Amino acid sequence: MLKKKRKEQERKMKDSSFIPVLAETMTSSLNDLNIIQIFGFLLGVLGLIFFLGAAVGMLRFPDFYTRMHAAGKGDSMSTMLMLSGLGLVTMEDYSLGSWLVFVKIMGIVLFIYLTSPTSTHVLMKAAFEDNHMPLDEKDLKKAKGKKK
Amino acid sequence: MIDWFAMLVGGSLFLFMVPLLYRIWVGPTAYDRILAVNVIGTKTAVLLVVIGALFDRVHMFVDFAIAYALLNFLASVVVSRYLNRTAAERNVEEKTKGARA
Amino acid sequence: MKKISLIPVLVVGVLLLYAADDFPEWGNPTAPASASSLSSHFISNTGVDTEVPNMVTAVLADYRGFDTMFETVVVFIAGMAVLAILKGSSGPFSKNKKYTSSIEPDLIVTNTVRLLVPVIQIFSFYVLAHGHVSPGGGFQGGVVMGASFIMIALSWDLETALVRFPLDKCFLVAALGIILYGGIGLLSMFLGGEFLDYAELANILPVSREMARYHAMLGVEIGVGLTVTAIMFALYANLSTEGKLKGGL
Repeated sequence: MLKKKRKEQERKMKDSSFIPVLAETMTSSLNDLNIIQIFGFLLGVLGLIFFLGAAVGMLRFPDFYTRMHAAGKGDSMSTMLMLSGLGLVTMEDYSLGSWLVFVKIMGIVLFIYLTSPTSTHVLMKAAFEDNHMPLDEKDLKKAKGKKK
Repeated sequence: MIDWFAMLVGGSLFLFMVPLLYRIWVGPTAYDRILAVNVIGTKTAVLLVVIGALFDRVHMFVDFAIAYALLNFLASVVVSRYLNRTAAERNVEEKTKGARA
Repeated sequence: MKKISLIPVLVVGVLLLYAADDFPEWGNPTAPASASSLSSHFISNTGVDTEVPNMVTAVLADYRGFDTMFETVVVFIAGMAVLAILKGSSGPFSKNKKYTSSIEPDLIVTNTVRLLVPVIQIFSFYVLAHGHVSPGGGFQGGVVMGASFIMIALSWDLETALVRFPLDKCFLVAALGIILYGGIGLLSMFLGGEFLDYAELANILPVSREMARYHAMLGVEIGVGLTVTAIMFALYANLSTEGKLKGGL
């Protein structure tokens, strides 16, 4: 009984609200876009691409230092791009108040640009002093031999 | 437009966090784990701004994002400092052991 | 063991997800939390009584001010308890630590923190003072302020931070916060109202009764912020060094 009700509810939600609303907002809003919003949209998508790179790098790279390379760079860059894109897109009118929000978002970007490299550096130093050495040619050869 | 864009960015952020979660789960050393946690923390600050855009309250959620970024930085400094200290003490212990032997 | 413990976590998680489906929708006016007479009273009367736009702050610092005052006292007691247990201890806690290595402060970290700390402290004042309008208030501002001192202690060492904020001053400041809170309450009692009835402060302030409540809430939040700042830092200083106050993490 309960399951039936729930299923019905789910079906209702699926076909009644979500997708048509999404499509509607897409089509209606594509008409009244201005150039700044399009620019912000592009920045956000570019940031997502950078973050995808960082995530894949974290997954695929062989040792800690190379992973840190991917995470540190991709993380800072994608954060800056995404936040500035969001700041440009969410600006409704170009009054003083909305510019203030944009400046605050840029403040977050500045904050992350200061702190993220610092924390990466601290982690690298801690790992290096813990005698955690990067991979060298011997290790790579060993890994290749194992694969064969 | 704003809703659609925020949904896209937020959903993709959650999706791309999955490899990082895998790195936290598997990560051979503690440093890998804390690095992945650090990246997720930075992206959570972005996610807070995205949630603000969804609720039409960006001016409010920006403050949360600043506080979150601050605590994230503090957390990674604390953990690396702790690991640094334990490593230094282990080194000294090994040295004294070697001298005795 | 790890895998066995995963089973209850998964079971509880599934149960919670199952239960989450029965929650009322976000913003539903007929949900039990919104439909009670208490919340409708607060929603309709906060703006009339206090002129504070943020209802959460009004409820926290005014309608249930008595509760918040003793929450602050609990924070203070926690700091006192840690100090009472750890002060001057050298026995069972520090058995494993024969050697306390000294770590050189890192150049990059110290310079970054040098740049960040003033910004963070100003941000904490903003969080504290803006708590009437946006989310924030005494507890949050105090935590951010305490975090800035902890950051100094982490990037140099604990002595550097203790020069800026000595431990005896910590407890002085914490007590001052509670005295400020209770003093505002007592002052409104002497002016003819009840304990923590801020509206009576309009007799001595050149504002209306509603604005008096607004300003008294700011004073109360400042008291909470002072206590939380000092106790945060005192807790860190004591717990990270096991009461010895030397070296730090």
